[in-house]
Amino acid sequence: MSSGSQFKQLEKLGNGTYATVYKGLNKTTGEFVALKEVKLDSEEGTPSTAIREISLMKELKHENIVRLYDVIHTENKLTLVFEYMDKDLKKYMDSRTVGNAPVGLELHLVKYFQWQLLEGLAFCHENKILHRDLKPQNLLINKKGQLKIGDFGLARAFGIPVNTFSSEVVTLWYRAPDVLMGSRTYSTSIDIWSCGCILAEMITGKPLFPGTNEEEQLKLIFETMGTPNEQSWPGISSLPKYNPGFPQHLPKNLKSILQAHCASDLDDTLIALLHGLLQLNPDMRLSAKQALHHPWFAEYYQQQQQ
Amino acid sequence: MSESTPVSTANNSTTATPDPVVPDKPPNYKVISDDDLYRHSSQYRFWSFTKDNLKQKRLETNSRATQKIEEDMKKFIGSQTLTNDELNITSTKAIPLTMEEELKLVNFYTQKVKVISQHLNLPTEVTATAIVFFKKFFIENSVMEFDPKELVHTTIFLACKSENYFISVDSFARKAKSSREAILKYEFTLLESLKFSLLLHHPYKPLHGFFLDIQNVLHDKVDLNHMGRIYDACRKRITESLLTDIIYHFTPPQITLAILLIEDEQLITKYLEIKFTGDENSHNIQLDKLLAIINSCKEMILSPDVVPTQDAKVIAAKNYYVQHPMVLINKYRKKREGQESTAEPPEKRLKTD
Repeated sequence: MSSGSQFKQLEKLGNGTYATVYKGLNKTTGEFVALKEVKLDSEEGTPSTAIREISLMKELKHENIVRLYDVIHTENKLTLVFEYMDKDLKKYMDSRTVGNAPVGLELHLVKYFQWQLLEGLAFCHENKILHRDLKPQNLLINKKGQLKIGDFGLARAFGIPVNTFSSEVVTLWYRAPDVLMGSRTYSTSIDIWSCGCILAEMITGKPLFPGTNEEEQLKLIFETMGTPNEQSWPGISSLPKYNPGFPQHLPKNLKSILQAHCASDLDDTLIALLHGLLQLNPDMRLSAKQALHHPWFAEYYQQQQQ
Repeated sequence: MSESTPVSTANNSTTATPDPVVPDKPPNYKVISDDDLYRHSSQYRFWSFTKDNLKQKRLETNSRATQKIEEDMKKFIGSQTLTNDELNITSTKAIPLTMEEELKLVNFYTQKVKVISQHLNLPTEVTATAIVFFKKFFIENSVMEFDPKELVHTTIFLACKSENYFISVDSFARKAKSSREAILKYEFTLLESLKFSLLLHHPYKPLHGFFLDIQNVLHDKVDLNHMGRIYDACRKRITESLLTDIIYHFTPPQITLAILLIEDEQLITKYLEIKFTGDENSHNIQLDKLLAIINSCKEMILSPDVVPTQDAKVIAAKNYYVQHPMVLINKYRKKREGQESTAEPPEKRLKTD
């Protein structure tokens, strides 16, 4: 336990789900840290969101997950001391925008980031933890090109079965169709959908399904991926917000959609991986572990073996 | 939980998107066992001890508190003018608790945590978490530093938050007949003492797993009604067992097997024999070693430290006096005055007349 005065508070980095994040300097070691300040609500004591995040972060020691170093208590606030990362993926991509035109990342970088994202996520899922809010803003990048998953404010531990979760999670753009249709029995597949959206966004530099409301979000998904039905997705008609009158769309060619916004040639294994992540039916989506074994990542697991 | 493998169904024209190709496992596929995962957990990393380690930790906590108490006592004696009798009574009645006495008091109040949680109708997991949190707090802290009574509600309320069982502090306070201030006073101290490791692995989930596997392994040899009864009995017994020190020495599946063994020794022995000997044994587990572990766990479960209220009262009183010696002295003085007045009533009356 360190005292609050050990850290010098520097500029504000942003707002988390329930707290404000500042850059901080550890005066003893000279290292930068991220200070997540949680206002203590005297009404309820330590907020459950903070309890939840602390509780999960204590279990997740992995090189692709942001480390929680310490928790400091001062009179009216709680500060979570995290590993400092230079940028989040959103800012990183924005910084490369030329004029008004979004630019995707080089494919070798996309692959490296996606590999690390899946490594971190596989570790969460192995530990029975769902992130539930994966988006570029929550993926942190440092100068070494490392990517780490952060902000576990909405994350939850899951057991079997998982069916009491609120469906009001995950920023709209990265939200899975099953969650959008009101499914409350979701599991690890919810994070996989987000990973698919993020992969596409890294390729083109722009969000794949930028909906402004739930209805539009589903519409955008179906327009590209095709409208699912009871045959392609058994059980879909029993979802609370399923509408048999959804406009019918055939799946579009994902490769040509993405290729239009990407300077280098997209190969078929990458598109195959995307399809594995962006399955409408959650039961059909790849697991994080399976995705890591995808041929697109062959160079990584072959390299690891040596 | 096993990974859900997308099963490739026949790919017909109505499928909205192509079926994903499930890649083969690469040659360097890392198999992470549940044991590996458990060793990674904060429950294992921070809160697993050998019996000697645990005793040592408790002795350290006790001696730290004792030292402080003795210093305070010296200051107290130095600041008061006490008669020899009074000094004598201080040194015999206001003495620090031993580690064993502390443990008895903690065990007594842990039982209270369980009873109150159940009385408040909290889910089994919340009750279990509250019990474990409370016990851990008093490994790090002495009952001479924190009155265990003051942590009972704090612990139960934190367990609710930690297990995602939503209840507002005010409605909790109403139900528990406490106050918001009292409940929250030591919340952070509790968090700190728990080293912020809040995610617990209770034996209820392994119980469910074993329950299914036993039916699978002994499919036509088990009576489902009987299994149902065993299951319920085991869940109760698990909660009860958390009051002992098994949580520091055994993993959740070991505890579960010990409890199953207590409930139906014949059935579980048969199950373990089939599971871990012969062709079925793909786990690299030696049955005799496993049985030795489970049996020593079983022994601990079957010898809980039940502390009678009277004993707890005596220890609590001692704990109170050592922290408030003046109360003891005043009590003694009052008693003496009383004795004097009853011993010489006629004289006194005469004088006052």
